[in-house]
Amino acid sequence: MKVRKVLRSITFRTIARYVVILSATVFFLLGALYGYFSYTYFSDLSDSIVDEIDTIKLIYRGQSLAGVEQYIEDQRAHHRINRFYYLVMDAQGNKVAGDLPAAPSYREFSGGWLGFQIDLLEWDGQVEADFLARPTALDDGFEAIVAGNYADAVEKTGLVFSTLFRAMFATLILGLTGGFFSAATTLSRFERLKSELSTVIRAGPGQRLHVAQEMGGVRELAVVMNDVLDQMESLMQGVRRVSDNIAHDLRTPLTRIRNHLSQLHSGLDRATEEDVEGIIAECDELLTSFNALLRISALEAGSALAGGTRVELASLLRDVVELYEPVAEEKGITMVVSDAGPQYCLAEADLLFQLFANLVDNAVKYTPAQGTVAVRLQARPAQGLSEGAHSIIIADSGPGIAPADRKNVFRRFFRVEASRGEQPGHGLGLSLVQAIVQYHHGSVELGSNNPGLLVRVKLPLA
Amino acid sequence: MNVLLVEDDRDVGDYISSELVAAGHACVTKYNGEDGLREARCGGYDVLVVDRMLPVMDGLTLIKTLRNGGFNGPILVLSALGEVDDRVQGLHSGADDYLVKPFSMVELLARLEILSRRASAPTTATTSYTVEDLHMDLLNQQVSRQGVALNLQPREYKLLEYLMRHAGQVVTRAMLLEHVWGYHFDPQTNVIDVHVSRLRQKIDKGFTPALLATVRGAGYRLGPER
Repeated sequence: MKVRKVLRSITFRTIARYVVILSATVFFLLGALYGYFSYTYFSDLSDSIVDEIDTIKLIYRGQSLAGVEQYIEDQRAHHRINRFYYLVMDAQGNKVAGDLPAAPSYREFSGGWLGFQIDLLEWDGQVEADFLARPTALDDGFEAIVAGNYADAVEKTGLVFSTLFRAMFATLILGLTGGFFSAATTLSRFERLKSELSTVIRAGPGQRLHVAQEMGGVRELAVVMNDVLDQMESLMQGVRRVSDNIAHDLRTPLTRIRNHLSQLHSGLDRATEEDVEGIIAECDELLTSFNALLRISALEAGSALAGGTRVELASLLRDVVELYEPVAEEKGITMVVSDAGPQYCLAEADLLFQLFANLVDNAVKYTPAQGTVAVRLQARPAQGLSEGAHSIIIADSGPGIAPADRKNVFRRFFRVEASRGEQPGHGLGLSLVQAIVQYHHGSVELGSNNPGLLVRVKLPLA
Repeated sequence: MNVLLVEDDRDVGDYISSELVAAGHACVTKYNGEDGLREARCGGYDVLVVDRMLPVMDGLTLIKTLRNGGFNGPILVLSALGEVDDRVQGLHSGADDYLVKPFSMVELLARLEILSRRASAPTTATTSYTVEDLHMDLLNQQVSRQGVALNLQPREYKLLEYLMRHAGQVVTRAMLLEHVWGYHFDPQTNVIDVHVSRLRQKIDKGFTPALLATVRGAGYRLGPER
C-alpha cells in the first residue's frame, strides 16, 4: 500500500483534520486555563501581600519595631506553610528583623514589585524558591519587604498542565497513526473492489461482485454495481434476443418462399426460369445470412466450449486449403499451406473448419490475380496465450485492412466501404470467425502482410 | 416411397406431406410420439421422418425405442435445434440423418431418396460402380470412360465416387460437404461448384452424353439426362 496514496486518501485527510483541530482546540483551552489560573493566583498573592504590608505598617505605627518583630515571630510560629516572609531594614540597609536574608538579588517587576529566588529549608532538604515581594517604607527611614512564596503552587500546577500537554501531544500522534491505518484499510477495501470490478467487466456479463464480505459503504457500493451489471446484462440479452427473433421469424417464411419458387421453376419458359433462379439465389443468400447471424448469437450467448474433441490442426488446414484451391486457381492465385507436423487442440471440428474456411474464402476473394494466399500452422511454442498456444496465420497479398477499420470488421454486417459495392458478401464472415474463436477460448488478430492482410488465430493447446 | 412423418406442427406437417405427394411419394402423418411409434411398428414404410419436439413422447425417445425393438428402417430427424451437440445426440439415438429446420424441401427430398435407396441396396461390398459408359474400379481406384482412363485428383475421385454411389439421385451441396469433405459448415461462396465443374471437365468433356448435371436450386445429379 503506497504511503503517499494513503496520506492523500479522503479517510486519512478527514481523520487528520479532525485530530489536528481537536488537539489545537484542547491545547488552546489548556493554555487559556493555565493563563487564567496563573493570573488569578498571582492576583490573589499580590493582593494578600499588599494587605500584609498594610498590616505591618499599622503594627509599626502602633507598636514600633518591637511590635513588628513580635508579629513576624508570631507569624513564623503559627504558620509553617503558606506564610509570608519578612525583612525589615534600617536606613542603611542593615537587616533589623525578619527571616529573609539581607538583600537577596532582586528582580524588579513593574509597579514596585520585586521577585527573587532563595533557597528555602523545606521538609526534605533545600529547595530553590521563587518569591514575590513588595517593599514599603516605614516611618523613620525603615523599609519593610513582604514576600510571598509562589513556587509551590505554581510548580505543581505547571506539572499538571505540562502532563496534560504531553498527553494531548501523544493523543495527536496516536490519532494520526490510527487515522493512517484506518485509511489504509478502507483504501485497500476500495482497491479490492476496484480490481474485482475490472475482472468482472473483462470476464463477461454473467459475473457479479461478491457482496457478502464487504461492510458498510463499500458493501452498498458493491450492491449498486451489481445492479448496474444486472441491467447491462439484461439489456445485452434483450438486444440479442430481438435480432435472434427477427432472424428466426423471418427464416421460416423465407424458406417457404424459396421452396415454392423451386417448384414454380420447373414449369416455366427459359427466360422466366432464369429470373426465378436469380430470385432463388438471392433467397439462399438471405437465408445464409440469417443462419450465420443466428449461429453467431448462439455462440456468443452460450457458454464457451467445454470438452470438445481432439482435432488435428495441420490436416484440418490442409482440408480447408484443398477445398479452396480450385477457386484460387481460377483466379490465378497461388495457395500455399505449411505446417510443422501434427498439432492437436480441443475443439469442434466443424466450427474450426468454418472459421478457417471463412478466413481463406476472404483471402481468396480479396486477393487480385497473380497474388498469394498462405496458410501457416506455426511450430510450437508461440507466445500469446498463457503456456503457449497454437498459432495459425492466413496471409494474403490483397489490399489488407486499414488499422482504423480493424476493430470494426468483426462487427456484424460491417463491410469496409471500398468493398461494399464490389465484392459479394454480407459482412458476417468475420463476426462468425470471432465468435468461433472466442468459443474455443482463443483469439484472432489482424495485421498487415506488407502488402495484404495477415490474420493470426491463436487456439489453446489440447 | 412410403414416408411416415411424425410432426406435431400441423402447418409444417401439411406442407411436407403435400410436397412429398407432389413429388410422387406417399405420406402418412402422425402428430405425437406415441402414435408415431405405434404406426411405425405397423410397418410398410420406406423411411421415417421424425421431429424432435413431440408431445407425449419426444422424437429421440421414439427412435431409441424403435431401434431397441429391432427396427432397422432409415430414420431422418427434423429439428429446430442445430448445434453440433444436438446433431450428435440425434444421430447417436439411432437416426440416420439429421436436418435442421427450416430446411429446403429439395434437401429433404434428396436425403430421403438416398436413405430409402440405401436401405434397399444389397449389403455385399461393392467393388465398382458403373454409370452408362463411366466406370469406377474401387479396388484399383481407377476411373475410365469409354475405355479411356481418366486421371483424377484424390478429392475429385472421392467426389465422383459419392456421385456414382448415388447415381440418378439429386445430391445437394450440403450432402457433398458432409460426405466428401467430412465437414458440416456453410460456405460463404459456392466453392463446391468449382470442384464439380472441374470434375465435369474431366469426365464429360469430349464424351457424350453429359453425365454430370446441375439441378438448379438443388444440387447435382450423375446419370443419363432425363
